[in-house]
Amino acid sequence: MHILVVLRMVPAPATEFEILPEGLGLDREWMDFQLNDFDDQALEEAVLLKEASGARVTAVAIGEGANRVLQMAMARGADDAVLLSGDEEAGLASPAGLAAALLPLIEERKADLILTGVQSAEDLFGQLGPYLAGRLDWPHISGTSHLAVAGGGLTVAQERGNGVVARYRIALPAVLGVQTSTKAPRYVSGSKLREAAKAPIAKGPAVDSLPADGARLAMLSMPLAGEGAENLGNVAEHVADRIAHILAERGLRAG
Amino acid sequence: MKFLVCTETRSGKIEAISLEMLAAARTIAAPGDEVVALVVGDSATDAAARLGAADRVIAAIAPALSVPTAEAYARIARDVMATEAPDLIVMPYSATGLDVAPELAARCELPIVAYVVRLDRGDDGVAATSQIYGGKVMAKTRITGPAIAMLNPGSFPEAAASQVAAGALASLDPTPLLSNLRVELLGEDQPDLAEIDIATAERIVCVGRGIGDEGSIEIARELAGLLGAEIAGSRPVVDNGWLPKLRQVGKSGRKVKPRLYLALGVSGAPEHLEGMSRSDLIIAVNTDPKAPIFGVAHYGATCDLFDLVAALNDRLRAPAGS
Ligand SMILES: Cc1cc2nc3c(=O)[nH]c(=O)nc-3n(C[C@H](O)[C@H](O)[C@H](O)COP(=O)(O)OP(=O)(O)OC[C@H]3O[C@@H](n4cnc5c(N)ncnc54)[C@H](O)[C@@H]3O)c2cc1C
Repeated sequence: MHILVVLRMVPAPATEFEILPEGLGLDREWMDFQLNDFDDQALEEAVLLKEASGARVTAVAIGEGANRVLQMAMARGADDAVLLSGDEEAGLASPAGLAAALLPLIEERKADLILTGVQSAEDLFGQLGPYLAGRLDWPHISGTSHLAVAGGGLTVAQERGNGVVARYRIALPAVLGVQTSTKAPRYVSGSKLREAAKAPIAKGPAVDSLPADGARLAMLSMPLAGEGAENLGNVAEHVADRIAHILAERGLRAG
Repeated sequence: MKFLVCTETRSGKIEAISLEMLAAARTIAAPGDEVVALVVGDSATDAAARLGAADRVIAAIAPALSVPTAEAYARIARDVMATEAPDLIVMPYSATGLDVAPELAARCELPIVAYVVRLDRGDDGVAATSQIYGGKVMAKTRITGPAIAMLNPGSFPEAAASQVAAGALASLDPTPLLSNLRVELLGEDQPDLAEIDIATAERIVCVGRGIGDEGSIEIARELAGLLGAEIAGSRPVVDNGWLPKLRQVGKSGRKVKPRLYLALGVSGAPEHLEGMSRSDLIIAVNTDPKAPIFGVAHYGATCDLFDLVAALNDRLRAPAGS
């Protein structure tokens, strides 16, 4: 089994989002980027599968800081690393563009299992996993956890909502959108990271992030924050008084 | 325009999101447009009784489709798209929709717009408004040709459930489409609600990633105790093993509608809001004034959650009224 895991750098959730004056992009200059949470889970799942079944793992990454993340992936157990280049100013990633860059790589490396996060915060134009699977004509499942090798394929679990969990068997080759890895992403020591920093990182194709014609971004805006919420302020003692009062008023205070 | 609304069923029952999608299509359908609903399942009875908001219903019914896999659903939808040639395909952001919609976009070379919470119709086509970055930024896209829109649950009111008009329900035999499936559903595990069902709780204290670590859950637990509330968590809290899965609120957790929902250090991602935005009273505490949770909360505070919980626990330990 050869696993190719796709890692995307995305704005950190706590970063300040500033929209550019034309409204068609974010001011990325001061933004912090980090590995997409779900891609981190996908990487861990890939390494766990390698440990369980001897698979080979190729990590592919794109975005600001991707080089560092690839070193981290190698330190965690990936065998190879490929860096995709993209136009960082081009705006939101499109799965169509990313898939087009990944297809030749998947063929060249003879990967038969593609893992990536179930979603990224930038998926305005659709999620990568199922999109890629459609292009490859491979079976796929998103929202997965508990991957295990079984016969010629894999068994996986998927959360269906309302606490229901479905269990599937899926044939290889396949694409999986990972939600949660079987074990939490592992910690790597500084010495391991320094060691991995020496490993070569291959250059992959450039990614065209322009989405397909027929649907294009017209305007980004900030949500009307706190639209409905009455502001109780930021002084904990006052807020506690107000909340205690609101609860008493509504008969919600126990005792 | 022709709309194809890809509905969801579970064990023969139409899911609420199906009626929301029909309502969404109806809000922008002009006179002369047609709204077609696709039903994939093991019975068309409930569909016939409830999907009257559609002009026409196509039902692909087979016993194997009681809980259709995304693979089966996508094959059926593609078959229907080939004959119907819809302009806008409306799908839900659900476990199945999340897999089906992008696959169809890739196979049919159609653009796709995800996380849609609003649709408008203009002279030059349809404008879709989406929530991205966990609800922190809104994106408006202009759709000028055939496309797929994936709708966030809870963003549109449900269309009234009414009887499908006589002759408006057609059936499609899905059997020929279901050979050589590569994904097999082995089974489904239901949550053991005998233990705890937070969906029935009157008061909920929900902790998000802002709680920081497992040990800190204790002070929130004390607050819950003082309030006579159940404690619940967002997905990261549960994924980290700080609270059991049965206490997760949201898209893949439980949907709750308590009289009181106190959210501590929860950002309010769409997948979280889906599980709680209809609560009677929502009070949110989050140091980030731009957190999307404040968009659904009735009361919001931007103080540190630890300071607030300590102060509130003090108040609640004292007898009411003192
Ligand atoms: C298919 C799918 C299904 C999902 N299902 C669910 C689901 O069922 N439930 C769910 O919750 N999520 C679900 N998610 C995940 C969801 O997208 C978010 O990642 C998640 O809700 C974020 O949780 P959070 O708000 O606790 O964490 P974060 O988004 O990290 O927010 C933490 C918040 O805490 C605040 N904070 C930090 N420190 C403090 C402090 N000291 N005092 C006050 N505030 C503080 C921060 O400002 C921040 O807003 C799902 C995602 C996918 C893709």
